[in-house]
Amino acid sequence: MTEATDGIEAAVKEYILAEFLPGTRPTELTASTPLVTGGVLDSLATVQLVGFLENRFQIEIAPHEASIDNLDSLTLIADLIRGKQAR
Amino acid sequence: MDFSLTPEQAAMREQMVRFARERLSPGAAARDREHRFDKDLWRECGVMGLLGMPVDESWGGSGCDALTCAVVLDGLGLGCADGGLVFSVCAHLLSCVVPIARFGTEAQKSLYLPGLCDGTQVGVHAMSEPDSGSDAFAMRTGATRVAEGWRLTGTKMFISNGPVADVVIVFAMTDRTKGFHGGVTAFLVTRGTLGFTQGPAIEKMGLRSAPLGELVFEDVLVPDSAVLGGVGGGAGVFTHAMDWERTCLFASQVGQAERLLKLGIQYARTRQQFGQAIGKFQGVSHRLADLKVEIEAARLLVYQAAWRLDHTRNASLDAAMAKLATSETLLRTALGVVQVFGGYGYMVDYEVERGLRDAVGSTIYSGTSEMQRNIIARWIGL
Repeated sequence: MTEATDGIEAAVKEYILAEFLPGTRPTELTASTPLVTGGVLDSLATVQLVGFLENRFQIEIAPHEASIDNLDSLTLIADLIRGKQAR
Repeated sequence: MDFSLTPEQAAMREQMVRFARERLSPGAAARDREHRFDKDLWRECGVMGLLGMPVDESWGGSGCDALTCAVVLDGLGLGCADGGLVFSVCAHLLSCVVPIARFGTEAQKSLYLPGLCDGTQVGVHAMSEPDSGSDAFAMRTGATRVAEGWRLTGTKMFISNGPVADVVIVFAMTDRTKGFHGGVTAFLVTRGTLGFTQGPAIEKMGLRSAPLGELVFEDVLVPDSAVLGGVGGGAGVFTHAMDWERTCLFASQVGQAERLLKLGIQYARTRQQFGQAIGKFQGVSHRLADLKVEIEAARLLVYQAAWRLDHTRNASLDAAMAKLATSETLLRTALGVVQVFGGYGYMVDYEVERGLRDAVGSTIYSGTSEMQRNIIARWIGL
């Protein structure tokens, strides 16, 4: 299964659009849209998102991993998930 | 859905109620009057297994799940007339012991958990500052990388158990450009560390036997091994502590509310006015009946949140709802019982006024009611 077909970005994008960007056109949220630095994810949203990612993808995100370095875009989030799933 | 407690949970709760009534309640009024923390009673709580319930037995705990902890702490609140002691126990257990057990390295667990569990040490969680309460992550306390590890500088305020703390989880900014998202780190600092000062207990409206004060960090040097939960992991450590505190500390507050309600009922059954017990007047009975409903509803929210702590990855919404419902129920109960007692309720000797003074803090600590409403609103999509 390739990155283009495993559906991770699509699932995360769908969640972020539904929970944090209601009314936003899907095309406006791209793989590189800044989520934290762009103000989409504040502290409460981050807690929600981490909970979703852990439940949806059956992974555990350590406290220090819930950072800008891993959550600031769909691409970064997907990379985090794939990295954990590969272990 | 089976709402019954297991035989073990029921037995543990009953044992805790008895222990709290017989050992922890005597002298509560004096400790309140004197703003006095009793280290001997603290040690008894440790021997009883109260101070390390969810910790694995290999580290000196009892290995209890979150729901069992909530049930036992409910019993503590029900049996203990010293609200301050209940609060100190819960603050230590839920915001210091739990995070170390969850995020600590094996070395950190080995170093800190045994003493924190057996009552020889008091644990503390230091987040709030003079200029950052609800806006927790606007903190000024910072930690700078140095050759020996980290240098901490800053002041923490309103720190529960602060004046008597032996082990402190202190939150500091390690990267201000990241803010909440990886910019905060939790450090473990111990009493006597050079540059670490514990201020005296501050006089409060209530919870007077629970010491609270200021902690000052002046160029405190700590090694890398003092980092809890990884560099940048402070937000996650804090969130986890808050989920447990908002659930299980408020389990004890459900018990406290029930204790106050029982006092009100007892009084209403015996106090006579206009030829009958005042509990026969609907103005009194309806008030107490409404409080009973609220207390049981709060209990269900608390127990559900505790169950979710054990069974889901994220119980933040449940914890916020439990905290909000329980704290506001406790305050209404305490005020209502004072009202039922009438003039006697206003007098110190009848002790229900202490319950009211203790209850006021519950809508403020662990995140104010306003913050809980913010959290709930966000979770429901607003």
